Amino acid sequence: MSLENIDPVLCNGCGICVDSCMVDVIRMDEENEKAVIQYPDDCMSCYFCQQDCPEEAMYVSEVKHPPLFVAWG
Amino acid sequence: MSQERVIETDVLVIGGGIAGCFAAIKAKEQGAEVTLLDKGYVGNSGETPFAKHFGVFSPEFGHDLEGWMNQVSHVGEYMNNPEWTELTFKDSYARWQDMVDWGVKFYKYDDDEYVWWPPREPEEMAKYPMQSIRMYQRQHAKIYRTQALKTGVNIVDRVMVTDLLKQDDELAGAIGFTIDDQEIIIVKAKATIMTAGSAAFKPNGTPLHVITGDGEAMAYRVGAEITGKEWNDCHPSRAEFPAWQWSPNKDISLSKKDDYGGLPKKVNAEGDQISDGKTVTLWIEDVFEADAGRAPIYWQFGSGEAAYHNLVAGPEGQPRNPLDLEAEKDGKVRMVLGSSLGMSVHNTEGIWPTSTKCETKIPGLYAAGDSLGARTVGARYPNIGFSTAYCSSTGTRAGIAAAEYALQKKSPVLDEEEITRAKKELSAPIDRPGGFSPSWVTQALQNTMMPYWILYVKSEERMQSALTQIEFMRDRVVPKLSARDAHELRLAHETKNMVLSAEMKLRASLFRKESRGTHYREDYPLRDDNEWLAWVKIKEEDGEMTLSKEPIPEKWWPDQTIPYEERYPIRFPGE
Repeated sequence: MSLENIDPVLCNGCGICVDSCMVDVIRMDEENEKAVIQYPDDCMSCYFCQQDCPEEAMYVSEVKHPPLFVAWG
Repeated sequence: MSQERVIETDVLVIGGGIAGCFAAIKAKEQGAEVTLLDKGYVGNSGETPFAKHFGVFSPEFGHDLEGWMNQVSHVGEYMNNPEWTELTFKDSYARWQDMVDWGVKFYKYDDDEYVWWPPREPEEMAKYPMQSIRMYQRQHAKIYRTQALKTGVNIVDRVMVTDLLKQDDELAGAIGFTIDDQEIIIVKAKATIMTAGSAAFKPNGTPLHVITGDGEAMAYRVGAEITGKEWNDCHPSRAEFPAWQWSPNKDISLSKKDDYGGLPKKVNAEGDQISDGKTVTLWIEDVFEADAGRAPIYWQFGSGEAAYHNLVAGPEGQPRNPLDLEAEKDGKVRMVLGSSLGMSVHNTEGIWPTSTKCETKIPGLYAAGDSLGARTVGARYPNIGFSTAYCSSTGTRAGIAAAEYALQKKSPVLDEEEITRAKKELSAPIDRPGGFSPSWVTQALQNTMMPYWILYVKSEERMQSALTQIEFMRDRVVPKLSARDAHELRLAHETKNMVLSAEMKLRASLFRKESRGTHYREDYPLRDDNEWLAWVKIKEEDGEMTLSKEPIPEKWWPDQTIPYEERYPIRFPGE
C-alpha cells in the first residue's frame, strides 16, 4: 500500500502533495476539493507527500503489497 | 487524444533533476530561450531530491588531484575515461560555488567545519582520499527550480516525453503528452539536451521508479550510441521492508565528528565478517555469500548518529516498528540486494558523447547527467557525492554548448509525416481496445531480471535464457501494451523503455566475456586486460541491436608490470 491514507478532514485541498509525488499517485478530487489516492500501486514510499503536507494529513506505511502475479494482466 | 500544443524554443531540456536544471539555467544565461520538461514536478523529481552529498574538489581544501584520479581508476578498474574524470573534479568547485550562491545549505559541525563524507583514518585517506560535503536532502533540488524560474526558464511540469524528432539528420525537437489532460505536446527546438537520468526496473527500496531509461531509449531510437550497460548498481534494501529502505531521512544536526559514525560492517549468517566497513568493496560480495548459502547478510552500523539514521530510522528519525527497536539493540539489520536493479554505475551508462561539450553523434542532441555515458566513473562507483558534481558539471557544459549551437540555427521545420508517425506511436496504447497493463508487464520484467543469478552472478546460458524472455516481451507483449488513461500511458512508455534497457543490459553482459568491477561472469571469472580494456557501445543498425568494442587508449591502461593480484586486489569467486 505504501501511501495508506489521506485524512479527508485534515486535508485542506492545497494540492502540494500532487506536485510532491513524482510517480503520480495523488490527484485532486475536483468535486470535494480534496487530495485522493488515485493510483496506489505506483507509490514508491518516498515520503515526500507526508513530508510536505502542511496539515499532516498523509500517512505512508513502510509495508507494500504488490498485486499477485498472474499469467496475463 | 485530440488536444495538441506546439512549443517553439531555442533549447529544449528533457528532465529536471540537477543536470537538467544546470543545463537550463546555463543555456538561458547564454541568451537562449529554454524550455524544461519533466514527467513529474521539477524540484521534486528524478534522483536529485534524494542526493545528500556533493563531491567538491579543491586544493583549497587540501585535496590532491592525482590521489583523487587514482581512486576513480582503481575502484572503477580502469574502465573510466580519465579526461572526463578530471573535468568533473576541476569543474566541481565552480558548480559548488553556484549552489552556495543560489542558497543551497551544506552541513557544518559546531566548529563551523564542513561535514565531509566518508570519515576515514589518515592511512585509509592515503589510498582513498575522495570525500564529499553533506548537504540537506530535497532542499537543494527545490532551489534549482527556483533558480531556473528566476533565470527565465520556461518550466512545463508533468509532461511525459516519448520520442525525439529529427529533421533530415539533425535533431529538431520532441513529442510527448501531459499526464493530467492527455494533451499532445510537440516541441520544435534548435537544440535538445537529454537529462532524463539513468535506467532501472522500478525496483523496491530505492525511490527510482521514474528512472526508466527514457533518455537513452529515445536517443537510441534516433540512432545515438549507448554505453555502460553491463555494470551494476548494487544498493541493498532492508529484508523485512524492501519497499522503503532508502526513503529520505530526517535531516540531523551534528555537533562533533564522532556523531557521524562509520561505514557499516557486514557479516554473513555464520557470523563471519565480509567487509570491515573501511575499504572500498564491490558491493556485490553479499550475493556471493548468498550463493554460497551464507545468507542472510547483516549490516552492522557504526556508533554514530548519522550511520544509525542511514540504516534504521524512518523519516521522523525514530525507529518505526518493533523490528527496528531490535535492530537498534543489536546494532545490525538484515539486508538484501536488488533495490536499484537495472541501474548501471552512475555517470557511466548512457548516451555516448563525441566531445567534452556533451555533443552526441546526432547533431543538435546533447546529453548530461546520468543520461550521458561519459564513463567518468567506470566499472564501480568510487565515492558518494561524485555524481552530483558530475551532473552539475555536464549540465553546465551541455547548457552552454547547446545555447551556442542553437543561437546560430534557424527554427527547424518538422516533417508532417514524421509527426503523424510519432503521434500514432505515442497514443497507440490508449487507442488499443485491449492488451496488457503496463504494471503487469513491468512485474513480468522484474520477475525475469531480479533473481540474483541473472545480473549479479552472470553466465552465458542463464543470460541467453533471460534474453529469450525479453525478446518475447519486446516482440509479442510490448506491441500490445494498453492504457486506460494518461497515467497508464506514461507507464506504458516507461515499460517499453525498460524492456529495451533490459535487452541492452543482457546483450552488453553477454558481449563482455570477462569479469570486472560490478560485472561478474562465473564462466569468465578473471579480468582480461588483453581483450577487455575496452568500452562496449550499442546502437541500432537496420532495425537490429548491434554491439561493438571501443578500445581504451593505451595511456590509460593499468600498469601491466604490476602483478595481476595487486592490479586487481578484489577477488571474484572462482577466480
